[in-house]
Amino acid sequence: MPEQLRFTALLNRVFAGPVNAFLEKLPPAFHPKYPEAPISNGVAMEVLVVAILVLLFLVVRSRLSVEKPRGSQHLAEMLHEFISGQNEDIIGHHSERFIPFLSALFLFILIGNLIGLIPGFESPTGAISGTLGCAVVAFAYYNLHGLRAQGPVGYFKHFLGPVWWLSPLMLPIEIISHLARVMSLSIRLYANMFAGDMVTMAFFTLIPLGVPVVFQMLHVAVSFLQAYIFTLLTTIYLSGAVAQEH
Amino acid sequence: MRKTMMVILAVVVMMLVAMPVYAQGADAAVQKSWAVPLAAGLGMAIAAGLCGLGQGKATASAVEALARNPGARPGLFIFLILGLALIESLALYALVIAFKVLA
Repeated sequence: MPEQLRFTALLNRVFAGPVNAFLEKLPPAFHPKYPEAPISNGVAMEVLVVAILVLLFLVVRSRLSVEKPRGSQHLAEMLHEFISGQNEDIIGHHSERFIPFLSALFLFILIGNLIGLIPGFESPTGAISGTLGCAVVAFAYYNLHGLRAQGPVGYFKHFLGPVWWLSPLMLPIEIISHLARVMSLSIRLYANMFAGDMVTMAFFTLIPLGVPVVFQMLHVAVSFLQAYIFTLLTTIYLSGAVAQEH
Repeated sequence: MRKTMMVILAVVVMMLVAMPVYAQGADAAVQKSWAVPLAAGLGMAIAAGLCGLGQGKATASAVEALARNPGARPGLFIFLILGLALIESLALYALVIAFKVLA
């Protein structure tokens, strides 16, 4: 039996059978190492984060009012203003359609980072699988929107660089730099969360009382900052993909 | 998971502290040579030092620009934070490699 968090154990107890059956049916049939616990800690924590977010959204939605806005509405409006202002600064016009995805990405990464501080839970972004998922989704999103905004030919011309006689050189460089974005986004987030844990653990082995709390506070600040940086970089990549020369 | 990580970290700290032990007998009883923890520690130290230099330069220019023009604070703040996070991520790549090498 692998070491499981309480929530993972709960999910595995309920869903182990269907998940195993589903994994068997996939084209390369996956056989999990521990068939009684096919859901890993990371996946279970991601499910928990999504459930928390959906609950938050339902609560905010039920308390919306025009005359007497309450606390949760102020927070939601602040988040919307923040993402929308940033979009306008970076992408320019017609940027409203990106606000839902970017807000969801920001909130998922933020809550995913913070949930690791609660004993009994673990950050889904503290494992490379979680952050790679976020990075691949962001990559697919901005490429799809670039293709949609400029058509396949127009989008491909982006990769060729400013002048036509540089294009055999520019094309591999651009492709590699685009792929490196996935790597940098995922590793930056993963390493920040992992390093926060490691540094807390290092000081815990030296001074078990008082000092690790300072590093937990640092971890909170870093969680906010890294969620913001991920969203900001995705917005910048979006603007690069969608920008039209007028 | 936490317990094994604590044990690994304690072992790493002890290995980094007890360097003279490895300098005496150069036997290859374990697969990893004595240079592995040294490389990991040095690599991370150099990356952290250079990252500190880079972030210091970035912060210095941001503070100077703010002193010249206090009204530009919102725009400057975004650029400062973006620059610092990108520089920091380079040091963190070195940390990831160091951990991969140690394991």
